[in-house]
Amino acid sequence: MPNKVFYYRLIPVIITLIALAIWLQPAFFQRTAGINLPDGQLPQLSKPFVVTKPCLDEHPEWRAAQTIDAVTMAESLLCEPDNPYNIAASVKGMNNISMRTLMNTHMAEDALIKSDDLDGDGDPDIIRIKLEVLELNGATPDSPNVFPTYDIAPGIQPGMWAFSPKLRGMSVKNFRSNKANAILRAPSPVIRIEQGDKVYITLENTHYFPHTLHFHGVDHAFQTLNGGDNDGVPITGEKPVMPGAIRTYELQPRHAGTMLYHCHVQTDKHLLMGLNGMFVVEENRPNNWVQTFNIGAGQVRYSSVAIKEKYDREYDLHYQSIDKNLAKTIQESNDIREISKQMHRVYNMSESNENYFMLNGHSFPYTLRDSLIIAKPNENIKLRLLNTQHSGIAVHIHGHKATITDYDGVTQNPAAQITRDVYNLSAAQRIDLHLQTTNDGLHSYGEGIWLFHDHVETGVANDGISPGGNMALMVYESMLNPNGMPMIRKDALDDVLTNSYQNKEKPQWGKKDPGMLAPDYVHLILWGLLVGLIFGLLIFIIRGLSKAD
Amino acid sequence: MKTLLLLILLLSSTATFSAMNHGGMIMDESGMIMNHNPDKLPKDCKEISKDVDITIRGGHKFVKGFNGKMFTYDKRDWQVPACARVNITFINEDDIRHQFMLHGLPGYLYPKGMFTIELYGKGQKTGSFIVPSRDYTYYIHCEVSTHTEKGMKAQLKVGEGSGDLDSILGLTVPLTPDYYPIHNDRFTWAALAFSIILGALSIRWLNNILARKMKKTSKPT
Repeated sequence: MPNKVFYYRLIPVIITLIALAIWLQPAFFQRTAGINLPDGQLPQLSKPFVVTKPCLDEHPEWRAAQTIDAVTMAESLLCEPDNPYNIAASVKGMNNISMRTLMNTHMAEDALIKSDDLDGDGDPDIIRIKLEVLELNGATPDSPNVFPTYDIAPGIQPGMWAFSPKLRGMSVKNFRSNKANAILRAPSPVIRIEQGDKVYITLENTHYFPHTLHFHGVDHAFQTLNGGDNDGVPITGEKPVMPGAIRTYELQPRHAGTMLYHCHVQTDKHLLMGLNGMFVVEENRPNNWVQTFNIGAGQVRYSSVAIKEKYDREYDLHYQSIDKNLAKTIQESNDIREISKQMHRVYNMSESNENYFMLNGHSFPYTLRDSLIIAKPNENIKLRLLNTQHSGIAVHIHGHKATITDYDGVTQNPAAQITRDVYNLSAAQRIDLHLQTTNDGLHSYGEGIWLFHDHVETGVANDGISPGGNMALMVYESMLNPNGMPMIRKDALDDVLTNSYQNKEKPQWGKKDPGMLAPDYVHLILWGLLVGLIFGLLIFIIRGLSKAD
Repeated sequence: MKTLLLLILLLSSTATFSAMNHGGMIMDESGMIMNHNPDKLPKDCKEISKDVDITIRGGHKFVKGFNGKMFTYDKRDWQVPACARVNITFINEDDIRHQFMLHGLPGYLYPKGMFTIELYGKGQKTGSFIVPSRDYTYYIHCEVSTHTEKGMKAQLKVGEGSGDLDSILGLTVPLTPDYYPIHNDRFTWAALAFSIILGALSIRWLNNILARKMKKTSKPT
């Protein structure tokens, strides 16, 4: 039997072995690759790879110029043209259209009532509008997914709110679908009325939070005729319109121009959630029936008399942004108290970031479906721009210099009007542009497929993945396919039309990711044996010492 | 008078542009050779020991097989005897600019210690230099922005050379390497655990063997 001294002599051996083990420790989690770098690998996708079609071409019959209920509207060569029945209803009012037209819209029978030609100039002067509040991509207790779904870009479904005309029927495409009906979309509809019209706008609060309507830049009295709240600010007027309640606001705008409307309850959050829209007051003219709702903004298929006098085409361009953290608050709980807490107390607007950027409710590449500016040479085009992001935008149209005719709904002295190629809009601002397609080297460089986008570069990405954001195209008719898509390179949209690209999982330029290295088993096993040896020896010494006494 | 002066100026300028040869540079519209030296011997060489002809190609296609890099030469390691005359034919196989730039030559023969062939696009040029006698590893690279870093680096050893340079594709490891995650799975951790247990058990076996030997040796007494 060895004595204690034998075991004491083993202690330096074990210390040496421990030092050796520390020195020879292998890399467990990361290491260098040596002379040659690893082969790389294609990334694992978190969701099944889905490629979306650039254009679904659901209603080709909606593109032609057509007359419905005596409303003759312009053609719309877009992939997703506006529903012509909605346009007829928006021009005539729900009270002056046929049952067939009514059935082809999803608007309620009292969503828009036009009556009383007060000044005898051939158009109605009392306009009654009813708005509801809708939610897109919100939480549902019946599914882990959101409901109803509205993709701003392939696979991107942030939680949003919007005003909508008072609706009728199902909010989804059909009983088996979770997809929002076409009329349930961002942005809130453009509202168009004529200068001098008596307008009664009723907010029917169908939502679970209180809301109001505030008309920014639109001529309105502080109170309604019988002393009701007319500015929509809960601090200075009445309490907000509670869920299930309604309130009517009264306007008779004396001044024409491009304005906006928005909710003024918890404005920082509610405006950014999408409760904002363009409000256009058209100049008074005889026989001037205006298209009161432009659902989804974009092309105006039935322009007012004053616009038709000067312009060949008219587009409403509404720029919006989304903070993904704010958007998440309506997706993560089904308890309205929890949603309220998360949105109004936990979420901090002063730490806000904008992640998604939309033009007319879509981000690139979906902007190509319904927000192209379509043109022909030698045309005059009216663009109305509205920015309801909380950051400024700097819109640039490739190949063109347009003239800013109006700022915030006020016409600039023609002698002082500026022609330029970047148009700045700070928060809530509007400008009207006169875009000329005369190929003179100044106003236009000729026919083409010209990008137009916010030049604040965060704006051309979807949560940082580019191309995306509010990028859209100005396309000359000679370069437009019959389905409304531009004649671009066949593979030009292959990347951006996949959800894996939008999830940041598809490597750029089709290359692999650097990938991982295989474990060095020989090193690992030899080191394991060494560590085992140390443990074994330790036990041997302790047991030996206790026995040897 | 004025026109005459202008004419002289114009003529002289075009003449210098078409084929400049000053300050050790031979330039034309396709590229330039700097410090071409086919005959002047370094101080430490009595004669040219050997004529070595080297053809070196550069371009994106040669990087095939080297992951995560963009441009390189077709071969990145060369060796010549002391006092050799090296005749370099540099071929650029890309449409963009590439260089063969060699550093470390004696300054009294090669201003700035360099020999360079630069090609402005696809094409080739041949130039010569005579190396001194000492064992040394000369640094070759393409100085076009990012090209050295992304793979276009090589070495020329004279005699035995003076060791290898860092981060030459396929030859040496980078001085500041990237770290890559290791793809561990259950088997990796099982192998580690198994080897530790095996190591611990080996002490027991060792002890048993020793104990048996001790018994054998203690029996006769």
